[in-house]
Amino acid sequence: MISYHPDSRFLTDFAAANLPLSEAMCVSVHLEYCGKCRAHVKQLSEVGAVLLESAGRESLAAESFDQVMARIDTAEPMLTPFAKVDQENGIGDVPNAQDSRLTSLVSPRALKGILRAGFEQLNWVQLGAQLRIAPLIVDADTRETAIYDIKAGGKLPEHEHRGEEITVLLKGSFSDAEGSYSLGDFIVRNKGEVHQPTVTLDMGCVCLVSLERPIKPRSWFYRLLEPYVQYRMGRAAAS
Amino acid sequence: MFSGDDNMTTHSAKILASQEAVDPWEHSLQMVAVKRDRLEFQKLFEHFAPLVKGFLLKGMSAYGDRTQAEEIAQEVMIKVWNKAESFNSAKASVSTWIFTIARNTRIDFIRRTERVNRQVDIDDIWHDADSPGPLVDFQQRRDASVIEAALATLPDEQSLVLEKAFLEGKSHIEISQELELPLGTVKSRIRLALNKLRILLDK
Repeated sequence: MISYHPDSRFLTDFAAANLPLSEAMCVSVHLEYCGKCRAHVKQLSEVGAVLLESAGRESLAAESFDQVMARIDTAEPMLTPFAKVDQENGIGDVPNAQDSRLTSLVSPRALKGILRAGFEQLNWVQLGAQLRIAPLIVDADTRETAIYDIKAGGKLPEHEHRGEEITVLLKGSFSDAEGSYSLGDFIVRNKGEVHQPTVTLDMGCVCLVSLERPIKPRSWFYRLLEPYVQYRMGRAAAS
Repeated sequence: MFSGDDNMTTHSAKILASQEAVDPWEHSLQMVAVKRDRLEFQKLFEHFAPLVKGFLLKGMSAYGDRTQAEEIAQEVMIKVWNKAESFNSAKASVSTWIFTIARNTRIDFIRRTERVNRQVDIDDIWHDADSPGPLVDFQQRRDASVIEAALATLPDEQSLVLEKAFLEGKSHIEISQELELPLGTVKSRIRLALNKLRILLDK
């Protein structure tokens, strides 16, 4: 049962494709789990289509249609770069079906490119015994995107958010003082909020995280660790 | 009716779809999908390509010139030809389907100019209307005329923010900066407008 959803700002900006990629990816993953938000995005796209019809026409050059037909006749079938790679490697649409770490995943399509080589092949950075983080290259925006993998019963250091943080649960569950979260939940924490997430004892937890700016751990240990963490995360992202 | 009803059977979805007003472009698109019919495609082109170009010009003023709008409009129509088979009339109207293609092509174009070797594909993020996906939706699509009539009743300040969002491609944050309004005001204007269109978002 999904109980945490993107709000009207996220859904509208997503439906109109005005959301930066890192956040859009989080919304997209949530949508794969949530029929209600999918229905909303579809309704919003219908509004976009009606507005499109009222947008006003701009006539194309007279030869435009012939050019299009010529391009259709001569061009190879249009393929996205990933579809090409898939074809070359003979890979189908379920690249992580055999990946045991993510068996409970519906294989979110937004993560297809990222999980292409497999979950273990991400650029993992181990942070302490319970947490490892794989930074992702999503776009040139100011946000940081990463996959967090936390061991069963794990506890993250209490931290304060310097910017908005979005977490989408890909596997397992966790809780903090505000509530408990499960598969597909879309959790937003705003600037200045402090929390300490705890993962349920029986199962680990995998999340997609989009951070406006790096979070600031509170304990001395992690504060000392922080420059080092940033350095290593930066290197992993660059490699 | 729009409450994430994944269990509705294909059969009842088909019955629902058949009760709706006929989409004038559905036949043309089906002929393109099944027979690669060039005359029907030309009809679609003549109706939609100028709309798509108008849409592109509104949204990409900061990114490109008019010749690029022409080229991208062509690209959108080529995708319409190539993807015609994946169109599902139970899920979306032809104009909604083409809107989503134009929207994705526009964002792809904007992102192309960034020199980032990103690991994600635009069509993998915005894929709601053009592919079945792992979970299939059978929500009934709505008749465009209902939305159109509701749009006509909106106060100017509400239709303005909707147009900025959907046509000019501006996020809530960008709209609030441009109109010098608090983010919360932009958010509530859009929500009020959507409520009148019977799109009842939680918050």
